[in-house]
This record gives sequence, structure tokens and C-alpha cells, in this order.
Amino acid sequence: MKKRLYLELENCIGCRSCLAACTQCGGHEERNRNYVYDVNPLVNRQTMPLMCLHCENPACARSCPAQAIQIHETGAVLSALVEKCIGCQNCTIACPYGIPKFDTEQNLMYKCDMCIDRSKDGIPPMCASVCPSNTIQWLSDSEIEAKKNQFNLNNGKWVTSMPFLEGETNVKVNLPGILQGVTKLF
Amino acid sequence: MQRDKFFKEIENVRHPNETLIKTHCAYCGMQCGMNLRVNKATNKIIGVEPRYDWPVNLGKMCPKGVTAYQQTNHDDRILKPLIRDDTSLKGTKDGFREATWDEAYDLIAVKFKELQEQYGKDTLSVFSGVSMTNEKCYLTGKFARVAMQTRYIDYNGRFCMSSAAGGFLRSFGVDRGSTLPWTDVHETDCLFIAGSNTGECHPTSMFRVWAVQERGGYLIVADPRETAIARRADVHLDLRPGTDLALANGILNLLIQNGYADADFVNNHTNGFEETKELVKEFTPEYTSELTGVAPEKIIRAAEIYGKAPNAIVMFARGIEQQQKGVDNVSAYTNMALVTGKIGRPKAGVATFTGQGNGQGGREHGQKSDLLPGYRKLTNPKHVEEVCQVWGITPEEMPLPGVSAYEMFELMEEKTIRGLYLLCSNPAVSAPNQNFVRKALKGLDFMVCSDFYLSESAEFADVILPSVTWSEDEGTVTNLEGRIIKINKAQEPIGESKPDWQIQVELAERIGRGKYFSHLKTAKDVADEFRLASKGGYADYYGATWDKIDKQDGVFWPCKDENDPGTPHMFLDKKFYHPDGKAKICALPYRPPAEEPCEEYPLRLTTGRVVYHYLSGNQTRRIQFLRDMCPDPFVEVHPETAAKYNIEHEERVRLFSRRGEAVYKVKVTEAIRKDTVFVPYHWGHDQSINLLTNPALDPISRMPEFKACAAQIEKLELKKVQQ
Repeated sequence: MKKRLYLELENCIGCRSCLAACTQCGGHEERNRNYVYDVNPLVNRQTMPLMCLHCENPACARSCPAQAIQIHETGAVLSALVEKCIGCQNCTIACPYGIPKFDTEQNLMYKCDMCIDRSKDGIPPMCASVCPSNTIQWLSDSEIEAKKNQFNLNNGKWVTSMPFLEGETNVKVNLPGILQGVTKLF
Repeated sequence: MQRDKFFKEIENVRHPNETLIKTHCAYCGMQCGMNLRVNKATNKIIGVEPRYDWPVNLGKMCPKGVTAYQQTNHDDRILKPLIRDDTSLKGTKDGFREATWDEAYDLIAVKFKELQEQYGKDTLSVFSGVSMTNEKCYLTGKFARVAMQTRYIDYNGRFCMSSAAGGFLRSFGVDRGSTLPWTDVHETDCLFIAGSNTGECHPTSMFRVWAVQERGGYLIVADPRETAIARRADVHLDLRPGTDLALANGILNLLIQNGYADADFVNNHTNGFEETKELVKEFTPEYTSELTGVAPEKIIRAAEIYGKAPNAIVMFARGIEQQQKGVDNVSAYTNMALVTGKIGRPKAGVATFTGQGNGQGGREHGQKSDLLPGYRKLTNPKHVEEVCQVWGITPEEMPLPGVSAYEMFELMEEKTIRGLYLLCSNPAVSAPNQNFVRKALKGLDFMVCSDFYLSESAEFADVILPSVTWSEDEGTVTNLEGRIIKINKAQEPIGESKPDWQIQVELAERIGRGKYFSHLKTAKDVADEFRLASKGGYADYYGATWDKIDKQDGVFWPCKDENDPGTPHMFLDKKFYHPDGKAKICALPYRPPAEEPCEEYPLRLTTGRVVYHYLSGNQTRRIQFLRDMCPDPFVEVHPETAAKYNIEHEERVRLFSRRGEAVYKVKVTEAIRKDTVFVPYHWGHDQSINLLTNPALDPISRMPEFKACAAQIEKLELKKVQQ
């Protein structure tokens, strides 16, 4: 059963476990490929994880003149292939979310690859495995659909699958603030 | 096996050249399950893999947990015993030379003997910690009393957990930090969390907290700061630091006045209701608001939500406990559960977030100055007799009760105590009133420190013994639920380091008390003697064998024998541990913090944690990832307060109290009260906020008031101009 990353941004506590966990994934060479953003640090503690959304038609791959960015059959958009990447950095400029980073020493782009060595076998990526606040979840499409219904939001702003920026993504995002709509028990 | 609805069957990644060792995190009381990845060829720990099958955290880990494995093979490890010949260098990292174990043991034996012959047995002391296994905690208590023959032993739980212990003992007659397993948390209807920055201190509880809200349940948070958990609370009671008792009394008053008291439960299972009802009457929302600074409507709403909830859990942590009325605060919040009868059944009860890894087990087995294994009391002749039988000594040989942690430093200062054996603790960072404590440590005639890194406290030692990390030894710890779990060995000790239990057995031999210890040849031997020593006590671990712990995903104490599966939920029979079987509802008059703001020190200073560091930071400040995320302490100031003192974000300021001063970078944030500043406590030397904190002690738990003192802030440039 295909699973996707699902981000419940409201839940984020800014602990950056996802960053620490990312360094532990095989092939990531102890470098994190996701980030956590302090939304308004002078005001409150709202934070949000920032990671590759694995677009279905990714600008990074489209902009790559060497076809170094492969899209895995699971939908994961992978890091640049060592043997193909020419270090032009088109991908880092093209991504509307600012995700691919460039390693000048290796002359190579690196980005979140959805822990492909884990996720290809149905094991959740490291960030989703450890996320203690359930901000980063690893869900099937039916579970994501259930979430959508649970919050009873039909305002068209629920996930990033709206036609903006890069269109359909494999990572679904639930924006902050919407949990206020939940009916309380008493 | 306790599986909850979040449990999903997930396979671990396995590499052919690796072994996965199931164990638990080195840090806080959650004791999250994890797998250590061990390279088969080199027998070295090389990484971490989530342990999806552990019911408490289901694979989830905080950044400390993810990087904990990096401790063991870290370059800073002490690999050989160190001896300092030049005592003038005490208090610095310098002057140590490598030595053999024999040389170190001989020196300790000679020095201990000299001091005791000259000044009496009680001139030696032991200061220990609760980041160690139950077995080590037990043996340390025995070592102090049987090998060193001193009354002066206490532990850093006095800075962390003793108020919760005191409050639970008074209210229930027994101290188990949580009356229910953590898997109940997400199924309750209301969480009332007081004085806990759960998001940063116990992050792996957060998925359960959010799950309560996701179901439509309620979250009430009492905290001076708008922490990550307070940000999303249904009611955030933003009280002044140190006024929790007034808030709890105010809420209790509303619960009683508005008909939420459970008359049957109160009549049949509690004492003290009428007296308490009278006392809390004066705590109207308006009066409570005056004392606490919380708006009356918030207090009313919080009481209404808690009162209406069919099931609710009151949870708290150091915010209410590290005060000179910490025990009263604990009992006052516990009153809410007792008056409404929301205790003694699944999904409802009281729980405290344990700060240290074995904060629960560590306080039950004889490291506390007045306690013996199994929560027995040194003042009870029957209890002393029972323990003496296990230890093979006579009751006359049992030392008297000693004094609490901070009071030991006072005795060092006045030279009643001249020798110290320190292990698994770093009081040169974690004790309050640091200027005094460091002077006391420096003045000692002889100090031994057992640690695996050269901590700030080890800098005062004459001898440092290299001990092992949690992953090089085995034993049990008791997590914040009261669940006894097994720590497994993942690699052999590196260098010449040894487990503390082995050091104590060998040292006992050197000081002529070997016959009481020489039968302990493995960690399992210590475990067997320890289970026997706890048998029959309140905290009865006798039935919690290592086998049973493995089979059952941990065992909740009390567990009296082989056939007893343990006790996940306390008081299901509505029987409390006081002689009449009833719980005590406590009438607790309000008293303000020991130090109130004044003209000279107009601000309230409160302290706490950040998610990246653990306690004194001796372990976590050395881990690259954690250090990068938060390299230095800071002082949180509200923008209006910052404007008043003409200070700006990221500017360096001098913060001072009656006891000391330190310089911090300012973090301006609206998430703190205007009359309060906050500094995290994980740093040592001149960055330690405990240079400023108040050592005023709780009369029962003897815990210092870390959470509230009067302070003042000053622009650095301004000071230069004045000079």
C-alpha cells in the first residue's frame, strides 16, 4: 500500500528531532536534508518543518540539464546522481520551496530523498519515524482522506495539492490553525 | 503487552553486518525505547534505529534520544583513572595525571581512613544521581552505609523529584510518580498540565497530548511562559512564577462551589475534605487572580472544563515542584483529583513528568538520606531490621539519617564533612547558589569523582574514576509511569572504564569491608540482591525479574512475587496506602515565594530546560548536533520589559540576584510574562544560572526554590559608563 508523508503543522513543537533523525538515515552522510522554520520567533513558538514536498512534476528535475535528478517509482524525488550531476545549481534556484542544497566540496546537490532505502520497503522515513509530536506522519491515502474528513474543512486550502506553485505533491500538508474547528466533547 | 491504537507493526531496517540491541534512552524519565546499531566486526555502537514496538514511545525520539548513542565512543571519554597531585589547581581542568586503578584505589582507601580516624566516620559523604540503574542506586546506598559507614548520603533527586515524592506520600501514602500507564494519556478527556514545558522536556509525550485535542478533548496548561504546549492549550493559565498554590486552591474552590465534588468518593475514600473546603473558600477567582496574575475568567473556565470532564489527568513537573512549597503544590493539585474522584480508575489520575532517567527508581532504594531500599524509612526500627538482614549487619551498625543534598554543602563549608565520593551527578552546575557550592567543593580535604566525562564538578576532584555510559552496562530503571524496564549492554566498556557497581565492590574490598560486597560478581548478582532488599517495602520490586520485564514490555511496581504481573493502574480498589486506606485531601494555606521582587530586584527569574540539553549539560553539550542547535544559554525577556530597560534582541546583558550574576544574550519574545525572565540551566562556569538561584528549601522535601527568585537585568554598556 502506498504511503505518503503528511505534515500536521499545528503539532510542531520545534524540537528538530526530524533534523537529528535525518542525519541517521543511510546514505545521508550525517547531514540533515530537512529544516525547521521559526515562523515568528519574537512573538510565539510556532515552528514548522520544511522539507521536500516531492512534487509530481518537480521544478528541480525539470531544470536539470543533465537529468541527474531521478524520480523513484514511489514518487520520491531523489538527490542528484553523483555520476550525472554537473554542479550547475539550476535545481537549487528552480525549487520554489528552497529545498535542494549544494555541497561545494563534492560539487553535488543533495536534498531529501524520502529515506528511499527505508520508504521503498514500506518503512517510514527517519523523520516520520521519530517525530515525537506527530507533526510528520507516514500515512496511506485512505488515512489522509480520513484526516481530511475529520477536520470537516471544505475550503479548498487544506493541502498543497491546490494548483499553485508546483501543483500536485506527494507530501500533504495540513496548515496551522484549522484544528480550532474541531467540535469539543463538552 | 499493552498496545494502544497508535501501535503499528513496522519492521526495522537490518543490515547484514549489524546487530540491533534493544534498550532505552540515556536521558529523561520517558526512557524511550530504542535500538542501538552495533557493528558486529568491531563491537562498536554506530547508530540508532527506532524501536517501533515499545508501547510508551512507539519509535518516537527527541533530538537527544536520536544522538544519545554518540556518547559512548566520544573523544571526551575518560579512559583511565586520573589523580591530581597539585591541589592548588582544584576547580580547573588542569593538573590531572593518568594512574592505574590500583594506585587510585589505594589513595582513596588511605585518604578515607585518615579522615575518618581524625574526624569520625561521618566526615565522609556520598553525593549520587538518579541517571543510574536501580541496581546502582541500591548499591550506592549500601556502599555509603556499609562500606563507608557514613550517615551522609544524598542525591541530586533533591533538585528534581523529591517534592513530588513528598506530595504523593502525604496525599496517597505512597509515591509512584504516575497512577496510570502513559498509554492512558491520549484516551482521557482533559489534561491539566501544570509547570511542565512538555514539548521541550518530555517531547515524546506530545503525540498523546495532541491526540487528546484531536479527539475534541481539552488541554489546560499552567505556565508563566507560552511554551509550545501552552500555545495550543484551550486555557493557558499564565501565572506568576511561584504562585501555583494559590491557583490550585482557587480551582479547587470553584470545583467544590460549582458542584463538581464527588461526595461518595470523598466520604468513603478520603480524609480532610471539610477542613480543605473551609480553607479554599477565600480563594475566589478575583482573589486568586490578584495573587497569581491570571485573569479570573481563565480560572473559571479551567475549573469548569476539569470539573465537567468524565475522565481527566492532572500532570505536573518541576515548575511546581522546584519551589520552597513544592510539596504543598503537589498536594494542592492532587486535591483536584481526590475531591472530584477522578483517580483510581483507567484514564483518570495524577502523574508527574520525571526529569531524570531513573528519577522514580532512584529515590526508592536508599540513596536518599532518610530512606532504605523499597522505600523503607531509616527512622523505623522494623524497616532497619529488615534491611540489616539482607546486608548482614546489625541495626546498631546502621548509620543514622543524614541531611539533604544542599545541606551537605553547608556541612562541607563548616568542615563537618571533609571527604566526598561523587558519582553520576554534577552539582557544580545543578545546585542552587553556585558561588557557595563551588567554595564548599573547593574546600574539601579529599574528593573522589566517578564519571565518564570530565564534568564541572570533576574539576574539584582529587581522584577521577572512569565509569561507563549506560550502553556499556546492564540493569533496570523505572520510568515516569512506574514501569520497571531493562537497559541492555550494547558494547564492552572502552579504555579502562568500569561500571560503578564494580568500582564499589572493588573499593569496598580496599577499605576492609569486602565481605559485604565480594559476592557481587555481575550486574545480575546486584539485581538479585536488590530485588530481595526491596521485598516487602512499599516499592516492592521482588517479582520484577529481568525475564518478566522482557516478556511484558516492562513491569509496573509494586510487583510482589513471581506470579504477580505488576500494577499498571494504582488504587483501582480505591485503597490508598495510609493506615486507614484513605487518601488525604490537604488544607494548604498559601505562602508567597521565599523571595519577592523589590525595588532593587524587580523581576522574577525562573529557570528550565531547552529540548537539546539534559540537566547540567555535561553529556549533551558534547554532542555536536545538540551543541550546534543550542550552543549558549539566553535570557527570555518580554518586548515591553526589554523596551523599559532599553535592551534589544540578541544584545548581551548582565542578570543579577542577591547571590550572583551572569551575562546572557537576550531573546526577546512575547511568549513570557512582562514581570518574568527565563534562563535555561544546562551550562556551567560563568554561564550557570544557578549562580543566581535561591537555595530556600521546602520544609518537607528539602528541595531548593529554583523556579522563582528576585532578579534585575542591566544593559552591559550602561555598567561600563557607570564604572
